[in-house]
Amino acid sequence: MMISQLLPFFVITPVLIAVFLYVFFSLKIVRIIAITVQAAFMIPAGWLLMSARETDVLVSVGDYDGLLGIILRADLLAAVFVFLTVFIFLMVGIYTYQTPYDRTKRLYLFLIFLLEGVLIGLFLTRDFFNIFVLVEVSTVVVTILLMYDRTRRNMFAGMMFLMVNIVVMQMYLFGLGYLYMLTGVMDMEGASVVIATMDSNQLALPYALIMTSIASKCSLLPMITWLPKVNSLTGSRFTIAAIMSGLHIKAGVYLFMRFQDVFGDIGMDFFLVIGVVTAVAGVILALSQTEIRLLLAYSTIAQVGLIIVGLNLDYEYSRVGSLFHIVNHSLFKVALFLCASQISYLYQTKNIQKIRGAFKQTPLIAVANIIAILGIVGAPLFNGSISKYFLVYGADGPLEWIIILINLGTILVFVKYATIFFGKPLTKVREEETLVSDTNRRGVVFALGAMCIVLGIGGVQAIYFLFDVPVTLTFGGYMEKIGIFFVSVIIAVLLYKYVLAKRTFLSKLNGLNLSFQKICVSIGIFFAILLVYIGVFYG
Amino acid sequence: MIGYIGGIHVLEIFPIILFFISFFGIITSRNIVKSIVCIILMQTAVILFWLGLGARISNLPPIFEYGTYIDDPSMIADPLPQALMLTAIIIGVAVTAINITVLNALFRKYKTVEWEPMQAQAFEDEKPEM
Repeated sequence: MMISQLLPFFVITPVLIAVFLYVFFSLKIVRIIAITVQAAFMIPAGWLLMSARETDVLVSVGDYDGLLGIILRADLLAAVFVFLTVFIFLMVGIYTYQTPYDRTKRLYLFLIFLLEGVLIGLFLTRDFFNIFVLVEVSTVVVTILLMYDRTRRNMFAGMMFLMVNIVVMQMYLFGLGYLYMLTGVMDMEGASVVIATMDSNQLALPYALIMTSIASKCSLLPMITWLPKVNSLTGSRFTIAAIMSGLHIKAGVYLFMRFQDVFGDIGMDFFLVIGVVTAVAGVILALSQTEIRLLLAYSTIAQVGLIIVGLNLDYEYSRVGSLFHIVNHSLFKVALFLCASQISYLYQTKNIQKIRGAFKQTPLIAVANIIAILGIVGAPLFNGSISKYFLVYGADGPLEWIIILINLGTILVFVKYATIFFGKPLTKVREEETLVSDTNRRGVVFALGAMCIVLGIGGVQAIYFLFDVPVTLTFGGYMEKIGIFFVSVIIAVLLYKYVLAKRTFLSKLNGLNLSFQKICVSIGIFFAILLVYIGVFYG
Repeated sequence: MIGYIGGIHVLEIFPIILFFISFFGIITSRNIVKSIVCIILMQTAVILFWLGLGARISNLPPIFEYGTYIDDPSMIADPLPQALMLTAIIIGVAVTAINITVLNALFRKYKTVEWEPMQAQAFEDEKPEM
């Protein structure tokens, strides 16, 4: 059987798992079967990855010719994202599998696996309208997940998420209509061929409309103030926050890359600046948080900003570094959220300032957590160091220093986070034995931690394997980065100890909440600036 | 050219104006019900724009008996936007239904459908635990 014929099943299988789990949830054996099927799903995902390394795998659904049908195409990038999605959902599935029977959990698992199918669909499809439909479905699924605990705060957050997303997707659909009017095709490859022959001036309106909606999906500036809050304030469910931060936001970045390719890389300088500003704002907002999930969610924004910078540097190594950073970030951010879930369960609080002495209380989880932290800050021999090394490759002059400063900010954020490991507990702590399904959960966080180390040591080979780009890492250059890293760590520790720990000026930012109207205004302003920028510089 | 004003087709102008009016409505509405109505208006604008696309050159229905010979295919309206908009309408209805259901649930919890008081109460809940 050809792998291309299996492509639609990559979307259907998780949906079937979801339905199967929903119908027969009460039987424990069903959950084991579902996890086994999800684990077995890794095999076709791996096969797809290997096949895509040789040539693009594509199928036209419904057997229509050429650009008439809906084309599912797995090039290497899509195959990597599919593999990553299957892996992350397997980890989350194992992590949540053994919690006690609970009627509400049935819908929860159904939605989680449904989301997996939708995300895989988003990565595989090349049809503009399909993207619209899948994003709308994912919006509804995520909205229900956000409202899951039915507390009024989460329901409000869910409604904000839903309404803002409807507005931006209407902008997308409008831009798409304009694009269809100009090009006459609904397929990415077809559109990019037609667009290459067109004047950039004509594309200003569709580009601005579509990219504004995609940028808000990646929670780029000015949308940063609300998305992390909405994404992470989901009651007690850390797993949803992990999926949102680890994977869902990456779907936005993926669409960003695809659309930049379609439009022939116009507006790169604009998004370079937006990426830098987003990263800086993400770091500052992360530093101002005391809630453990919010700190992690804002740090995601900073990393997404960094990824967007790498993608827009117009340099092969930086692009590949960014792509590798997406994979790495998914791994360590999911690990961080899952570890934080365990720790906050033991301490019965989500406030970082109240958690102390976690290393003594739960050494194994703490070790996995520290590995993930070393990954995200770019410590030598960990995966983050390799991706960041290549990411800054194309940057020179002031931009290189700005990126180093952003990384210093990330280190500072995680110095703040790491304070939970030291000292003596301030509150009553639950016994470690009370953790549910201890072995599974530890296994998952250790597997993710192990991946961080493996991808760190074999980073160059991994980049070649995943993105088919041979890169070379010079010993001198890497040593220089190690030097910068250690200097940054020293500065970060000193800064935290003598400046941030004693002052609370950043906590004022904590209360920064934009209303729905202001979010829409900021989206409108973003759109207007992008439109003017394209009109002036490419007109 | 017929149907063009200042180089822009009339079928474009009206939806674009409607789109931005509804966007203005979203920005200025203090009431969530009004915001939802504005979003529906926005969806209508987009759907109108798309339908206009298919009928720019001609609006001959794209339905024929099997085997009919077509002299000039460009005289037939483009069926793709119509088919896609059918899907978009369905999605729009579903999403609006969810939106109104959620608003109903929120009204029971907050006793208001105004953005400001609801948001103030929600952010009050959001304050980190002491």
